[in-house]
Amino acid sequence: MKKVYLALAAGMVIGVAALTGCSSESSAPATTAAPAATEAPTEAATEAATEAATEAAAEAPAEEETFVFKHGFDLDYPPYSYIDDNGQTGGFDVELAQAVCDYYGWEYEAVPFNWDAKDAELNAGSCDCIWSGFTVNGREDDYLWSKAYSDNTQLIMVKKDSGIETLADLEGKAVGVQTSTSAYDLLNDEEGQAALCSTFGSLEVYETYTIAFNDLKAGAIDAIAIDVTSGTFLMSGEEDYEFLDEELGSEQYAIGFRKGDTELCDKINAALDALVADGTYDAIGKKYPEIYDFLCLN
Amino acid sequence: MSLSTMLSTMAAGMLRTCGIFILTLAGSLPLGMIVALLRKSHFPVVRLLTRAYISVIRGTPLMLQLLVWYFGPYYLFGLSIRGWRFPALIIGFVLNYAAYFAEIYRGGIESIPVGQYEACEVLGYSKSQTFMRIILPQVIKRIMPSVTNEVITLVKDTSLAFTLAYQEVFSLAKQISASQTSFTPFVIAGVFYFLANYVVAFVMERIEKALDYYR
Repeated sequence: MKKVYLALAAGMVIGVAALTGCSSESSAPATTAAPAATEAPTEAATEAATEAATEAAAEAPAEEETFVFKHGFDLDYPPYSYIDDNGQTGGFDVELAQAVCDYYGWEYEAVPFNWDAKDAELNAGSCDCIWSGFTVNGREDDYLWSKAYSDNTQLIMVKKDSGIETLADLEGKAVGVQTSTSAYDLLNDEEGQAALCSTFGSLEVYETYTIAFNDLKAGAIDAIAIDVTSGTFLMSGEEDYEFLDEELGSEQYAIGFRKGDTELCDKINAALDALVADGTYDAIGKKYPEIYDFLCLN
Repeated sequence: MSLSTMLSTMAAGMLRTCGIFILTLAGSLPLGMIVALLRKSHFPVVRLLTRAYISVIRGTPLMLQLLVWYFGPYYLFGLSIRGWRFPALIIGFVLNYAAYFAEIYRGGIESIPVGQYEACEVLGYSKSQTFMRIILPQVIKRIMPSVTNEVITLVKDTSLAFTLAYQEVFSLAKQISASQTSFTPFVIAGVFYFLANYVVAFVMERIEKALDYYR
């Protein structure tokens, strides 16, 4: 009897899913056209691109649309992708992605997602790439990677008067870190800093660095393990905090594509080269002093 | 970010929160009644299916259900899920809340003494007349406090929409808090939720008073 019950339950779930599956088809009719649009010739020179576009428009039926580049990112990750002071979506990665779209004449679509669901979003095609301060190291084989556009290092942030000056001083101290970050992975990696981590009094894992930083301010923890760029962003406007000189590790940021999306990846790489050459990359970088020194293409 | 920018950005998020809230209620309140009636159906298969639905929905986290509704079409059937974020969200919320409402309705329906059904039969009421004119009005009166509870919970549950990265007020609070390294957005979100629930409680109280026609 129990088995029958379970089978019925499973059947119902699948049945309902099938129903809604159908309706999703009707709500998203335009997607099949997108890959076709990618294949349309888009040369480096803008003139050639517009020519090609007009040609394509002349040949193809009226439905021919411009390629919509769906930029997948986390809005929780300043200064790469976040909500800026005007309440708009902004950040270095967002501006660079928009510049790439302007370069090709693509339509830019922001797809903010929940970081924990990034792989599901990418595989399901709701976005074309993960481009949000996305660390290559340790994931080399999991995605098709663009060229790296930013370096980063993980450091320890402490209060200036804490007396902690080296990594060894962290013995017995409470250290905070944000979950699903490079610093967190590093502290749990046997080949990384797990040995150092085992000397800590405790490792406190936070949902966000904002809360960890408040705990550091309040004295509930003694140090924070964090990317230098995020850390600098947190510390801006605060006098009493500093990084230890010793590094925990270093990494590179790049854009992650679905394996097999070689064409799109090549195009983005070409666009990055062009944006570096014409100074756009550098100009966007200058707006984000926290990360400017870590940009590695200029 | 100035306080006024923060407020206006978050107010836009609150509107999206209200959107989820209203659509969920509009869908789940009637659907819950259908489920409650199916739950009492004469056909054992229908009863069993409805019970299984309620038990699966109540037995799994809403957050997980939202993920299944959103990603399910792709992973089960390979369909494109472009533009499917908001519909999936609403389907997830409606089906979840309908299960809870169904049980509240059932509790209300079963609290009416059998004697009333017998009296109706004697007076020559048909089955549907009995339910619509005699039973249902009493049920609605009795279940109002439980429904209010559930509705207020819904206001706060809308924050689970962050799972699908829908920019409702709590997602925005988290994101603005990260970019401004400040807790102020959470305080603002708290005030917004409180005000929304204050209005809900006020309206529900009015409805209860209006229904209190025997005193």
